Amino acid sequence: MTLLEISGLEVRYGRNVAVKSVDLTVADRQIVTVLGANGAGKSSLLRAIQGVVPARAGTIRFDGRDITTSDVPSRVRSGLVLVPEGRQIFVSLTVQDNLLMGAYTRHDADVTRDVEAIYTRFPNLAMRRDKLAGVLSGGEQQMLAIGRALLAKPRLMMLDEPSLGLSPLFVQRMFDLIGDLNRDGLAILLVEQNTSMALQIAERATLLELGSVLISGPSAEVGRSEMLTQAYLGAH
Amino acid sequence: MILILQQIVNGVMLGAVYVTVALAFNLTIGILNFLNFTIPPLFMVTAMFAWAVAEHGLPFGLTGPLNWALALGVGIVLTILISLVVERLTFRYMKARYGDATEHAIPLVSSLGFLLILENLVRIAYGTEPHRFATPFQDLNIRVGGLIVSLPQLLSLFLALAIVFGLSRMLATTKTGRALRSIAENPDASLLMGVDVSRIVPVVFVLSGLLCGVAGAIFAVNYGQVYSGMGNEIGNKAIAGMVLGGLGSIWGAIAGGVIVGVIEAMSVHLFGGDTVQAIVWGLLLVALIVRPQGLFGHNAIGKGKL
Ligand SMILES: Nc1ncnc2c1ncn2[C@@H]1O[C@H](COP(=O)(O)OP(=O)(O)OP(=O)(O)O)[C@@H](O)[C@H]1O
Ligand SMILES: [Mg+2]
Repeated sequence: MTLLEISGLEVRYGRNVAVKSVDLTVADRQIVTVLGANGAGKSSLLRAIQGVVPARAGTIRFDGRDITTSDVPSRVRSGLVLVPEGRQIFVSLTVQDNLLMGAYTRHDADVTRDVEAIYTRFPNLAMRRDKLAGVLSGGEQQMLAIGRALLAKPRLMMLDEPSLGLSPLFVQRMFDLIGDLNRDGLAILLVEQNTSMALQIAERATLLELGSVLISGPSAEVGRSEMLTQAYLGAH
Repeated sequence: MILILQQIVNGVMLGAVYVTVALAFNLTIGILNFLNFTIPPLFMVTAMFAWAVAEHGLPFGLTGPLNWALALGVGIVLTILISLVVERLTFRYMKARYGDATEHAIPLVSSLGFLLILENLVRIAYGTEPHRFATPFQDLNIRVGGLIVSLPQLLSLFLALAIVFGLSRMLATTKTGRALRSIAENPDASLLMGVDVSRIVPVVFVLSGLLCGVAGAIFAVNYGQVYSGMGNEIGNKAIAGMVLGGLGSIWGAIAGGVIVGVIEAMSVHLFGGDTVQAIVWGLLLVALIVRPQGLFGHNAIGKGKL
C-alpha cells in the first residue's frame, strides 16, 4: 500500500527553483532513499513534504489524504515526521523535555510509557535525562533527535543526513537503528551522503540533480547506474 | 541607620512594580527576541483606565462609577486585549508579511509607534496631571521595630513574587511552558514538533499584558495616584532592572527590579529626586562593563531566530 505519494512537486526560493516536478512514492513499511550532490534539492524536498516550505506546484498525498496545503502540526499528527539536517535538538532544554517536545501533538495517556521505551532503547539518554541536551555528544544528539521524532508515533520518518558528522562506529549504529525501526513497521525516507550504505538499506532509490529526478528505481539498479557517479561528479 | 533601613524597605517595595514590568519585557525578549516598547504604555493604560472607570464609569454610559477593585480588574482586562491587538499589528502582521528579512527592526519600530499613540491618546483624554486613585487602605501601615511598612505595598510585593513564581513554574513544568522555551531557542525546530507557533505567540502577549496590568494595579493602589507619564518613568527603570538582572532570566528580573528600586530609594534619600535616573543608569553602565550578560543572564539571548 502506498503511504506517501508525491507528483509534480516544485519548490522555489524566490526565483531559484530547488525542486522541479519530482515524483516519488514510499510504500507502507518501506525504506526509500533520496540521493544527490550538495544543493541537489534533497533537503528542500523533505521540507516541502513536511510542509515547512510550501509546494509551488504538484500534490502530496499521505495515507490516502491530500496534504499539499496542510500545516506542519496536522502533518505531524497524521504520522509524518522529519528529523532535520543538523539534528536541531533543543540544547537549552533537558533531554527529557526534548523527548516530551516530540510528543507535543499527542494527548493520550501513553506518552510517559513511550518516553520510558525510548530510554530503554537508548540507555545513554536515560543516564542524562535531566541534563541539558547541549552536553550530549554528536552521536547521542542524533539518537535524541530520532527518539524525539519517534515520540510523535510516526508512520513515516524522514531523515535528512542522519550520519552527518558521526564517527564510523556511530554511522553503523545509525544504520542498524534505521533497520530496526523499519522492522518494527516504520516507513523511512532517507537522505544520505553515505551513498553505499543508503543503497544497501533502502529498497528503492531516487537520484536528484539540480532539483530534478535523474533516475529512480530499485536500489540495486540505481547503484549500478552510471548516472550515480555522474550526478556526484557533476560531469555532463 | 534606621533611616537607611527604611529606604531599603521602601526601595524593595518600589522594586515590586519594577520586577513585574521587567518580567513583562523579559518574556517577550526571552521568548520572541522582541523588545516590546508597548509594555510601558500598557502599564500606564491599566492604571489610567482603572482611574477613569472608577471616576466616571464604563464608556458609553454602560455603568456608573465603579468600585476601585472592579475598576482595576477592568483595567487589566483591557490591557490584555490591547496587548493582543499589538501582537496582531506589530509582531504577527509584520512577521507574516516580511518574514525574516526585516530582522527585528519593523516590529520594534511599530511597537514604538504604539507607545507614542497610546500615551498621547491618554494625554488627550485625561491630560498630563496626576489623578488621585482612592482605595480604602491607602494609609494602612505596620511597624516592625521602628520601620514603617505599608501594608498594601507589602501585599503587592507578595503578589508580584507569587506571579513570578507561578510564571516560572508554568514555564518549567507545563506543556505550553515547554513549547515556549523551545520557541525561544529554535522556532523552526518547534514547528517540526508540531507547535503551532502563530497560536502560541499570543500566549506570550497575554502573559506580558497580564504582568503590565498587575504592575499598573499595584502602582495605583500603592501610590494612590496615576498619570499619563507613569509608563515612561517606570518602564525606563524596569528596563534597567531587566538588563541588570540579565535578559531573558526570570530570577534576573526579580533581582534587577529590586536592586533598581533600592538604588532609587537611596538616591532620593541621599542626593534628591533629580539624581535618580543618572545614578540608576550610571550604575547600570558600570555593571554592564563588568558583567555584560547581567547578573543571571546567559549569552544566547538576543540571538534567537523568530
Ligand atoms: N532557505 C533558502 N533560501 C534560498 N535558497 C535556498 C534555501 N535553501 C536551499 N536553497 C537553495 O536550494 C537549492 C537546494 O538546496 P537543498 O538544501 O535542498 O539541497 P541539498 O540537496 O539538501 O544539499 P546538501 O547536500 O548540501 O544538504 C540550493 O541551490 C540552495 O542554494
Ligand atoms: Mg540538505
